[in-house]
Amino acid sequence: MDYLIQGFVKALALIFSFDPEIYGVVARSLLFAFASTLLATVVGVPAGFLIASKKFRGKSIIITLLNTSLALPTVVIGLLGYAFLSHRAPLGFLDLLFTPTAVIAGEFILSLPVITILTITAVHAVDTRAYITAQTLGAGRRMQAWTIFSEARFAVLAAVVAGFGRAVSEVGAAMMLGGNIRHYTRTMATSIALEVSKGEFSYGLALGFFLMFVALSINILVHYFQIKGK
Amino acid sequence: MDTTMHLELKNIKHYYDTKSVLSIDLLQIEKGKIYSLVGPNGCGKTTLLHIMGVILAPTGGELFFEGKKIEHSGSRLIAARRRVTVVPQSPYMFDTTVRANVEYGLKARGIAKKERENRVDEVLNLLKLTAFAKRRARNLSGGETQLIALARGIILEPAILLLDEITANLDARHVDTIETIIRDINRRRGTTIIMTTHKLSQAYTLADQVFSLFNGRIVESGMYNLFKGAFRFTNQEPLFDTGKIAIHIAQRHEDDKAGHISIKPEDIIVSKEQLHSSARNLFSGTIVTIIQQGEAVHLEVDAQEHFRVQITPSSFHEMGLTLGTRVFLIFKASSVHVL
Repeated sequence: MDYLIQGFVKALALIFSFDPEIYGVVARSLLFAFASTLLATVVGVPAGFLIASKKFRGKSIIITLLNTSLALPTVVIGLLGYAFLSHRAPLGFLDLLFTPTAVIAGEFILSLPVITILTITAVHAVDTRAYITAQTLGAGRRMQAWTIFSEARFAVLAAVVAGFGRAVSEVGAAMMLGGNIRHYTRTMATSIALEVSKGEFSYGLALGFFLMFVALSINILVHYFQIKGK
Repeated sequence: MDTTMHLELKNIKHYYDTKSVLSIDLLQIEKGKIYSLVGPNGCGKTTLLHIMGVILAPTGGELFFEGKKIEHSGSRLIAARRRVTVVPQSPYMFDTTVRANVEYGLKARGIAKKERENRVDEVLNLLKLTAFAKRRARNLSGGETQLIALARGIILEPAILLLDEITANLDARHVDTIETIIRDINRRRGTTIIMTTHKLSQAYTLADQVFSLFNGRIVESGMYNLFKGAFRFTNQEPLFDTGKIAIHIAQRHEDDKAGHISIKPEDIIVSKEQLHSSARNLFSGTIVTIIQQGEAVHLEVDAQEHFRVQITPSSFHEMGLTLGTRVFLIFKASSVHVL
């Protein structure tokens, strides 16, 4: 127990010493997660909206695949990414392995299904009377679509925040695709894994607090958007 | 196709899965008139209103607007929808302000911002809702929501306004306001109005013509005194038990079988004294509504069940009938139509 308390005290000291190493890792993690979530939002929200609002063959298969990919271990994504990006792999010529771009790509692949599937759920949850009301008030197709999106906006925002949460907290893809290079691709999650393996428990705990703070903030945001949407 | 008609429905059929919910051979709506559509719950009123509002494509049949057939695809569909507006019984409010909700249809029509603002102010003022403009539409009471839905419809100045039970569950003050507005927009703008209602008194006081819908079919006007119940036998006499009263009928039916009956208002004799006659049905009750319309006086009599009766104005005056007068209703078993 003392071990834990000492670690906790050291962690607080590190946080309030404004150690540039720790804050650099935190800033980099947030930047990578922000970039990947932005990309996943640009792709996932319109895709989710289209899948939810259109009838087409194979729709249920796509939804099943998206649901399955939610449970995909992050290390598997890292492994697949490595298989494509390593020097002898098909995309090796891009020279992206162990770069921030590779980490962002990995996090994008992880948060994309989260954002897409939650957008589908958000659109399905819109009251069917919203469509009828938009129609009888003379809205064209584009305005009808915008209206439905607008009605689902809080749930869609919650989807984006959940996608960000998935990206910022993942360790497998960032480790395998980014290589955990100091001042370059090291993120909070990979740094925690490294520091704990080195026996630097308090350092890992300090980063853990940051990660927990980010996770808590994300959950509060998701909850806020869910309440707003009701 | 009759080009003088505002709206015409021909051979309209609609099914939910395999269940037929609507079957109308011909329904013609004249321009500038107010129509009421009455009928029991589940008879197809809302489905019919949605078909007339071009937001539901019928399974079969044709719909003509000012003589032109309405197609349920392409840009003509949107154009048709912009001439006909449905105000539903339980309106959906978009998750924004009252002003934005009322303005929605004008935006859809590409009306300029300044004109939109003026028209919203005007309609909110008409409905005495100006104070609500900036409030969240979803935070309003049922009556206020219904008024906003009406405002959202009438601001568009549609050629045809379809109102689905819009005064149901409203207090008397809101009902009066809405009825006044319905009359006003019909008179001032010549808007054709088709409204569904459960209230026969409202149907007759507001409408130029009343249609009855039963089991998805338009039935002869005059199919009132529509009762739901079960067939019974007492001393070998066939009866129809509504749960409140037992009505003698002429035809024998399977015991305990559920069904509907109707009695034409003009087949019921009204008397202030108890008459002894060959008619099998005699009920006493009090007059609760009096509506004079043209050459007929319609009475609504509360005799445990509400009966609608039609008499001439001269009979009405000679008998000295007023609200609350106790009367006897007499009709033959053969006047009861089993549906």
